[in-house]
Amino acid sequence: MEIFSEYLKKDHLLSQVDARVKLGVSLFILAMVLSYKGLAFPLLILGLSLCLCIKIKMPFKAFLLRFSEPVFIALVIVLIKFLFSGKEVIFSISLPTSHFSLFTLTGHKDGLMDGLQIGSRILGAVSVVAVMGFSTPFTEFMAGLSWLKVPRGIIEISLFAYRYIFVLLEDAMVIYNAQKNRLGYSNIKRGLSSFGTLAGSLTLKAFEHSQNTTTAMLQRGYDGNIPMLKHKPFKLSEVAVSVLLIITLGVVWKI
Amino acid sequence: MKIKNSKLKVFILSLFAVHCSLFTETAYAMHISEGILPFNWALFWSLIAVPFVAWGLYKLKKLSSVDLSFKPLVGLMAAVVFIISCMPIPVPTAGTCSHPCGTGISGILLGPAISILITAVALLIQALFLAHGGLSTWGADIVSMGVVGSFAGFLTFRLLRSMKINMAVSGFMAGLLADWATYLTTSAELASGIKGDSAFMPLFWKILIAFMPTQLPLGILEGAMTAGMVTLLYKKRPDLLVRMRVLKPEEAI
Repeated sequence: MEIFSEYLKKDHLLSQVDARVKLGVSLFILAMVLSYKGLAFPLLILGLSLCLCIKIKMPFKAFLLRFSEPVFIALVIVLIKFLFSGKEVIFSISLPTSHFSLFTLTGHKDGLMDGLQIGSRILGAVSVVAVMGFSTPFTEFMAGLSWLKVPRGIIEISLFAYRYIFVLLEDAMVIYNAQKNRLGYSNIKRGLSSFGTLAGSLTLKAFEHSQNTTTAMLQRGYDGNIPMLKHKPFKLSEVAVSVLLIITLGVVWKI
Repeated sequence: MKIKNSKLKVFILSLFAVHCSLFTETAYAMHISEGILPFNWALFWSLIAVPFVAWGLYKLKKLSSVDLSFKPLVGLMAAVVFIISCMPIPVPTAGTCSHPCGTGISGILLGPAISILITAVALLIQALFLAHGGLSTWGADIVSMGVVGSFAGFLTFRLLRSMKINMAVSGFMAGLLADWATYLTTSAELASGIKGDSAFMPLFWKILIAFMPTQLPLGILEGAMTAGMVTLLYKKRPDLLVRMRVLKPEEAI
């Protein structure tokens, strides 16, 4: 969970860029990666994003956390497509032996190409969102979404949720440690019971916090709506560079 | 003796997938990862999700105009769902860890409309900061976890309670079916997204079988967790369950 705040550096080339510009560019690139038929463009975006990750000083641990799951999923999909999908057979192996065969593993060339295409798309898309996530504070990102006319309800609930994740996580850790010290997770049955109690206690805490928060907010003039960050005017240089970047990538995408 | 049995192949692949998963700390099979769905499918699932999210927003506006503490409550429930769905639970048959969805319980407590909204928010934060799910697959994940999971949990719980089945069993079945329904929908979304020129159904079955070793026991774990949560709330704060119309006032005594 430390991935939220501790890894967010504030002194790199993307930290001062307007969140709306970063969001807009990321969404354009994401759409291009998803609609591209082939390997080259997603891999180019992956390469560029990895360079940016180094440039914005993304810690190696955070990088591993962020990419381990997508890489695993990409590998599984490549395997599924390679072994179970396609028409052009590359190899066919009878297992355990060719004389006594229980099943046959068949590799397909077109399946492999399809799998690699999906795999590259996953890594390209994940890298774009990773760069944006690591260079934009949550509140600025929400302000960007509000500018994009994402419904206010979603943004307000997200801000409440984001604020209280840390509070509830702390509560959860206290309860979990107390349960663990009393052998609450010593076997599967007790572990399940303890986990249910933990989750229930968190729900009760959420109710208590919501009542206290509302009381505190009402005393400070809360009328049912949270004020959003006010946007500064766009910087011409940022917009120009972004448009140029999108046009250049658009040309590469078209080729 | 040559047996060409595709199910056997899938079984071997699933074993491989399980072994691969040992190298990662947790297996987040319920979320469809960023980039898996091509543009047209990502757009399709997003369009399916839009009316449900709009319904959730309508309910939120209506209820928060009556009770100002409702928005903070929904935000905090989203934080709870987020934390629950980030907690690794050991899956004995797979030898790995996975995580519950938490949408069954939010469906039971706040109803499917608000639960869909809560799921959408939890998924957005997870996609941005933890690479679980993604922005392009947000719509698909909302449909599988939010819409199907919440409805399955809510309807199962209400149906069983109307048949006078006790709280723990109703909670268990709601959690179990919410999890399995999510898993089924995710498999269908995944198969439709990656099938390319291949037929849909064979790939759907392969994906379903490949994730079975993790997801079947996980559903049972989620059921147990939901039962534990509902029972705790029933014992400690029955008044809350009455306020949320999970219990009738006479049942709370």
